[in-house]
Formats: sequence, C-alpha cells, structure tokens
Amino acid sequence: MNDPAIAATSAQTAPLVATNVVKRVLGPGAKSGSAPEMTILHGVSMQANAGEAVAIVGPSGSGKSTLLGILAGLDAPTEGSVTMQGQSLGDLDEDGRAQLRATSVGFVFQSFQLLPGLSALENVMLPLELTQQENVKERALTVLDEVGLSHRASHHPLQLSGGEQQRVAVARAFVSKPALLFADEPTGNLDTATGERIAELMFDMRKNLNAALVLVTHDDDLARSCDRRLRMTDGRLSEL
Amino acid sequence: MTRGQQFNFALKALKRDLAAGELRVLALALVVAVASVTAVGFFTDRVGRAVQRQAADVLAADLVASSGSPVNPEWIDEAKRRNLNTALHTRFPSVVINDDDESQLVAVKAITESYPLRGTLTLATLEAPDVRADLSIPAPGTAWIDPQLRDILQLSQGSLLALGAKDFVVERIITFEPDAGENVMELSPRVMININDLAEAELLIEGSRARYSLLMAGEDADVDGMSEWLSDNYATEARVQGVRDGGPQLQRALERAERFLGLASVVTVLLAGAAIALAVRHFAYRQADASAVLRTLGASRSDVISWLVIRLSLIAIIASAIGVAIGWLAQLVLADLLSTWFSLELPAAGIQPPIIGTLTAFITLAGFGLLPVIKAGQVPVMRVLQRDYSDLQTGSVITAILALLATFCVVWLLSGDAKLSAIVVLGVVAMLSVFALFGKYMIRAVRKVAGPRFRLSVAGLERRTASSVVQLSAFAMGIMALLLIAIVRVDILAAWERDLPEDAPNVFVVNIQPDQVEGFGQRLEEQGINNNGFFPMVRGRLAAHNGESIVQDDMSERDERRARREYNLTYSNELPAANDIVDGQWWSEDETGLYLSVEQEWAEEYNYQVGDTMTFKVAGVETTGTIRNLRKVDWESFQVNFFVVASPAMLAEFPQTFVSSFYLDGNFSKATSGWAREFPGIATLDIGAIVARIKTLMDRASLAVEYVFFFTLLAGTCVLLAAVQSSQGERIRESALLRALGASHKQIRHAVVSEFAILGIIAGFLAAFFATLIAWALSREVFELPFSINPSLWFFGVVGGALGISIAGYLATRRVLHTPPIVALRHSA
Repeated sequence: MNDPAIAATSAQTAPLVATNVVKRVLGPGAKSGSAPEMTILHGVSMQANAGEAVAIVGPSGSGKSTLLGILAGLDAPTEGSVTMQGQSLGDLDEDGRAQLRATSVGFVFQSFQLLPGLSALENVMLPLELTQQENVKERALTVLDEVGLSHRASHHPLQLSGGEQQRVAVARAFVSKPALLFADEPTGNLDTATGERIAELMFDMRKNLNAALVLVTHDDDLARSCDRRLRMTDGRLSEL
Repeated sequence: MTRGQQFNFALKALKRDLAAGELRVLALALVVAVASVTAVGFFTDRVGRAVQRQAADVLAADLVASSGSPVNPEWIDEAKRRNLNTALHTRFPSVVINDDDESQLVAVKAITESYPLRGTLTLATLEAPDVRADLSIPAPGTAWIDPQLRDILQLSQGSLLALGAKDFVVERIITFEPDAGENVMELSPRVMININDLAEAELLIEGSRARYSLLMAGEDADVDGMSEWLSDNYATEARVQGVRDGGPQLQRALERAERFLGLASVVTVLLAGAAIALAVRHFAYRQADASAVLRTLGASRSDVISWLVIRLSLIAIIASAIGVAIGWLAQLVLADLLSTWFSLELPAAGIQPPIIGTLTAFITLAGFGLLPVIKAGQVPVMRVLQRDYSDLQTGSVITAILALLATFCVVWLLSGDAKLSAIVVLGVVAMLSVFALFGKYMIRAVRKVAGPRFRLSVAGLERRTASSVVQLSAFAMGIMALLLIAIVRVDILAAWERDLPEDAPNVFVVNIQPDQVEGFGQRLEEQGINNNGFFPMVRGRLAAHNGESIVQDDMSERDERRARREYNLTYSNELPAANDIVDGQWWSEDETGLYLSVEQEWAEEYNYQVGDTMTFKVAGVETTGTIRNLRKVDWESFQVNFFVVASPAMLAEFPQTFVSSFYLDGNFSKATSGWAREFPGIATLDIGAIVARIKTLMDRASLAVEYVFFFTLLAGTCVLLAAVQSSQGERIRESALLRALGASHKQIRHAVVSEFAILGIIAGFLAAFFATLIAWALSREVFELPFSINPSLWFFGVVGGALGISIAGYLATRRVLHTPPIVALRHSA
C-alpha cells in the first residue's frame, strides 16, 4: 500500500471506509475522573462501500457512537486500524484526518450541532468556507433551497424548530458533496413525522450524490431503509 | 490554510461574534482595563508632573547642586550638554547699613537672570507693596529687599543701602520668593542683587560662608541623568537636591500621593485582569463546542486555534483603541476641570500611558486567555457525539503559572519594581487561596443553617461548587479592593486635613531675646494673635559622639561641612506637641540629669542610639548629655520642631533666643509693621505662601486620589459583571428547567437573588477582613498613618456586597424570566 500507484488502483475497488479488528478501551479518567478502565469496542471489523447505506443499531451504551467516531476519524482506536478512501487513518495526524473530513465527509448529529452565533445560511456556508471554495453563498443557498429552507436563511438556530435545525444540518452535511456521510441518531430528537421527512431528505440527497452512509440509530424503520444492518451489542458487532 | 485565509476567516467569525454579543463581556473588561490604565497613566503622568513642578517651585528648579566653593564650570557645561536650563545664585550672610548708619544682618542672594527656573518670584515697588511689579533681575547697582528690612531700616523707593564696598539703590520689595522656605529657621531678611555686582562689592573673600548653587531644569530624563552624573562624580563636593529632596513637608505629601496613585493603579489593573480572566475563560468554554464542530467539518486543530487567537488579538486591538480613546477623553475632561484648579498649565500627555494600556491588555489576555483558548481549540472532537466525552479543562498548573506570570509582568510594567511585583503576585496567590478555602467551607456552613426557603439557592451554590468558589473569590477580591482603596483614600485625605488645618502656623518669629518674650507675647495678645508658645533656641555645634570627636582629619569636604554644621537646640521638660517617643522614655521634671531627645530619622542616619552620649559646643563651652529617647516628628505640622531637644539642666544656662510660630489671618505687612522697631533684632518670616502652596498641592493630590478611585470602582464593577456572566448560561438553563417544572417567576427570582446574596455576604465578610488587615499593614508600613479599625468597612463589605452582588446577579440573569423556557432548554441542547 505504500506504492501510490497500487494505492490508487486498490482505492477504486476497496471499501470507502473500513475498520479492522478495532478495539477501544477507555482508561481511568478518560471519560470521567475516577472511572476504572473500560472496553467499549471488542475487536470490531466492518466496512461501507461507495453508494452503500449501512445502519448500526443497538441499545444505548453499546458502543455505536464510539464506533461512528472512530470510523469518521474523530477518535482513534486503542488497537486495530481504520481506512478511509484507501488511506489508513492511523497514518494521518489530526490535521490530516481533518483535511480528509473536509473534502470527503459529511455529518448529521442527533443534537444538530449548529453554531448558535451563525444564521442558517452561514452554518451551511461553513464547510465551503473552510475549504476556501468559490461561490460559497450561492451554493449554500441552493442546498438550503433543496431542504426547503431558503426562506429561513437569515434565521439563527434558536429561531428554528428542531426539524428545521436538522434540515439545516443536513444541508450543511451535503453542501460539500461528500463521498461519505455519517449520521448519529439524526431523528433521535425529532417527532416521528418530522423524523421521517428528515430521513427521506437525507436518503434522497445521498442517492443523488451516490455517497456512502453510515447511520447509527435506534429506529428500526430507519435502519430497514439501509442496504445493510449491523447490530452492536456490548461492543461487539454482528450482521443482521 | 494560509495565514491570510485564516485571518479572513477569523475576521468573519469575529464580526459574527460581535453581532451575536458573544464577546461583549470580554470586550467590556478589556476596554475598562485599557481605559483605566490609560486614564490613570495619563493622570499620574500629567498631574504627577504638574505636582512635581509645583514641588520644583519650592526649589526654584528641578535640580540644585550647591557647594561651599564657586560652582564648578564643568557642572554648567554638563548641564548644557544635557539640554538643561541653568541659573546661578550665591547666598551668604552679610550686613547692610542705611543712610542713618543703622545696620542689619541680612541674607544676601546674588542671582543670574534666569533665576528662578521654576516658580515665580514676585515683586512690588516700595510705594505700592500690594501691586505686582516684576522685573527679571536686579539691574547692576540695585537691590531687592524683604519687606521686613524695609520696616527695620525705614527704607523707601530709591533709598541707598551699603552692602560691602558698594551702595545699592533699593528698587523693589520681594513679595514672594519660591525657594524662601528652604530653611525657615535661619532666615534673616533677604537682599537680592545681581550676581555681577559681587566682585565690585568685594563681598566674597577667602573663607566667606557662601553657598554657591547651580539651578537646573529640563526634561525628567535629563534631570535624572544630571543628578546621577553629579552624584557619581562630585559626591563629596556637591550637595545635590532634587524635587524629592525638597522640604520634609512637601516630600511626605508627594510620597504619599505617589504611593497611593501607584497602589490604586496596580489594584485597578489587577481587578481588570481578574475580569479579563473570567471573561476569557467564559469565552473559551463557549468556543469549545464550536471548535469541535468546526473540526468535524474538516478544520485542522491549528486552524481552529489560529482563528481563536486571531479573534482574541483583534478584540484586544479594538478594545485597546476604544480604551485608549476613552482614557484620552477622560483626561481631557479632567485637564479642563483642573485648569480652574491649577495655576500652571498641565504638561502635555505623554505617549507612554496608551502604550502601557495596550500592553496591559495584551499581556493580560495572553496570560489569562491563551491557554484556555488553546485548550478550547484542542477539545476532543468526539464531544460532538458524546457530550460528556471530555469536559474543557482550563484549570491547570500551567494556566495558573501563565496567569501569575502575566500579573507579575503587568505590575512590573506599571510599577517598574520587580520586588514589589513579586510581592503583589505572592499576595494575590495567598489571598485567592484563602478566599477559595474559606469560601468553600463557608458555603458548606451556610447549607447547614439555611432554612427551606433558601434550599434552592444553596443547592445551586453547592451544585456548582467549583464555579461558586471562583465567583466568590472574584467577588471578594473586587469588594476588598474597593473597600481598601476607599479606606486608604479617606484616611489619606483625613491625615492631610489633620496635618494642615486651616489655622496651620503661617508666621515664624525668630531671634526673640529672653527679655523681649513677655513684651512680644503681650503685643501678640493685643493684636488678637494666638501663638503656639515661645521655644528657647540655643545654637551649638556637635563636637563628639560617645566621647569621640566628630570632625576627623581624613574627612571629605562635604562630610566636614556637615560635621561642622550649627544646630538649633532647644530644652524642655515636656515632650513637644506633634512628637511621639519611639524608643526610650521622656524625662520627668524632677530629674536633673543632662539628657537629650533626638529625632528618629536623624538618629538613624547618623547612627545614634538611646544611651549614647552627645557633646555640643555652645558658645565655646562643651556640654555632654545622654540620649534618653528617640522621637518621631510630624514635620507636616508646621509647628516649631527641633532635631535635638535637651533637658533644661543641660542648656538653660547658655545664651539663647526664642522662637515662636502662629497663624496670622489677614495682611502680613500691616500686622507686623512696627514689630521690628519695637522689638529690635527679631526676624519675622511669612510662610503663608508656602503653606498655601502645600495646601494646593495636597488639594491636587486629593483630586488625583478621587479620580483614580473612580477607575478602580469601574474595574471592580467589571469584575462583578464578569463573575456573574461566567455562570449566566448555566443559571439560565437551570432556571428554565425549574420553570418547566412549574416554578413561578417569584420563586426563581428569589432563588437567583438569594444565591447571589449569599455569595455577596460571604465575599463581603472575607473582603472586609482582608481589607482591614491590608489597610493596617499599609497604614503602618507604607503611608505612615495612624490606623483604627473602621466598623463601617464591615457594614459596607457585608451589606454592600450582598446588595451589590444580588442586584448585579439579578440584572444579569433577569433575561431568563422573560424567555420562554423552551427556548432556553433548546439552547442548552
């Protein structure tokens, strides 16, 4: 894999993102001051290919979000490896992983994670601004229009409903046309009807971009919309 | 990202921050810090220099070098090389004779044209003594005289006065001589002549007791440089006097004013620093989540940190500019206000205060804010998925060290004194530790005694123990600083008022013969003048210390001159007023031994102790006494004071004259006319003008004190605001939750206000305790003022603290009462 030519060839056939026997152990103090050492993930291996939607389900505290964080390069595994677009995340430093995220990854969170000081439009513009792209405002407005919120562009997150905030978050996730989308309980904070609309929107946009999706959810219906479903139980992953 | 791109991005973020009010508290704290440092700087700089100039008036120069031999031409060359203006005068005692062959001992001062370099010499003709008729220098062959001499010798305009080998035409009387008060006890009537007449008058011959002085004035740095140069090269030859070496009264007033201004400005900066520390910590907390989100979106850690640092720097630049502008405007208003108080124009504002103000902002921000902001930029990105993944840890040993280093640098920048800065830093650490420790226990104690009505408030305090203790320390520090500055300010002003009451003596009469005392006393009584008694004065030279001769063969000229100095001694069985024994005991009337009482500072300088013997040579006879005690003399009292007081047994039999002082209300010339003829030989000295000048100086210094206090108050308020703001978000969320659970507005208001009131009471109590302790130490060691426990301090500390903080807390959190709970809860999500 050290040869760039081989790496380029294998990237076309290789999964977009994959973990190989990933283990995550939280040491004392890492999560809460005096907690004893705790294994969150016990040698998890999985992959997601281009255009594929993978759902991870499981009870609270089973390690779903930790796995998602590791897949997205937000956290590093204690053991094992993660590759994204053929690149081993372990070989990249924090800035390298950030750069990969900026160009290839979109996120949708349960708690929306919009910046409260910015308007809806500014929140959507953010990923494009970070990568110094052209026509930032026009592109952000277009995507905001796609999620049906162009009329709320100047509103701040606190002035928007939960569903609207999540639509802004979806627009932000897709504005940079990522190859890979991570979603952590995207409907978890929304009522059923709003959640369904958000899920529909997210799946439609993913399809248009042919992006891979890794989705963590409690919602079985939502999970069933995905191509594959994996269950996480006590830090161990199994195919459903 | 390139630096330029980072800057642009940070600029955009800053605009959004400002629009959203994110940086309001931090910006306010910075503006107050810079404005107060700048304004205090401008003030101390401009007014301080004006006050110094006022003090320079009393010296007629910024610097005087005098010697027993003619002024060394090298001194003049050096002064000119340093761009200093110069003037010369030569002073010596002599005798003048009028047309009727009547003679009088006088103090001659021969001057050059530029004398005085500071202050104004005012003159009048002998015909119209109340109308100013100034001239620049006595024309050759003319003399200006003291009004007393006119009375004693019955002189009129144009009278001839023989002085040495030359006759002088009396041209003017001197109505005010700026440096006349240099030695009030030894003044014979003044005669001022042109220095070029000295040779022709053949007044100065070998061995004349003349003092030759070079007066110098100019920029502070040049004056300081010259003073150093003289001390380095001519320490034994020249006696160098600067503004600070002026009369003891002035010196003390100046020192106290400077110390207070210094203290107040350091306290102001410390308070502003605390406000910045709290605000930037709050900012860092607020930025942690945003930083994590930005990094999930692909921003690198260094990008995020750069944006935060650039934003802080931009805020510091903007706040500094606004702060400097406010400081500048404040001092402009002040200068305008002062123009009615000041007879002389304020020196122009220097460039230093805005630089120091801006530096203060940057150093404080870097010291207190850099690490929390870097940590905010480094917060684990997993925080976006799992909120409790890692909390922002801004408190660490390195953060504390950086903060202390910044405090040290700022205090050093302001005081220029590394030792003082270290003491301040250690003091702050010790104080905050005590505040934190006691605060924690006091919060626990309150929980035990609080009734059900306060359960909610105390629970709030307990739940946030760490932030409550931080807030408590900030409140206590703020209240303490305000109390302290308030007490010290009032004490200083009161002490000055005491030192210089309205009826402070403004006339000294010396050389009263023993047989004139009764008659002169009656005369004063007839004129309705209350004098402060008659004090015997015996002149003598110090011959030996513990039996060892004072004058040694190998002494320098200067030391020998000092050793041969003639002292004014007095004797008494009673401790003089405004004197306190600091070592040993006063003698009783029954004791008939030969005892001495010596002024403490003099004794320290020449190394005399209780039990030592001193031998004085009085009228050719040696008399030896034992030092029974050391006295502290209040030189600011303007009473007749002596370095050495003897028991009557030691000096009563020697030739003596008497001296008296009193307050004269009204025209000096009219009141004293006729005294010189009725009581031949007495010399009357009007020091009213000098007293008035010192009063003016103190008035100005008082104004400075008041002015600086205002800025301290502002900085203190800022700390309170920042401390309240630091927990505002948390309080808003909690209150929203309580409202969601059904709590009424009234209940929430009660909980918030009483929580702040409890904090205020504890902080006020701690503050009052420490303010008392520090005020005691300052009064004793720094300001040398008597100390008394001030009960109002406890009242203002505890009641004021509770009221002030609960009002501030309520105002800062009242928003929650008008915000629907769902909005606040959604905000917290």
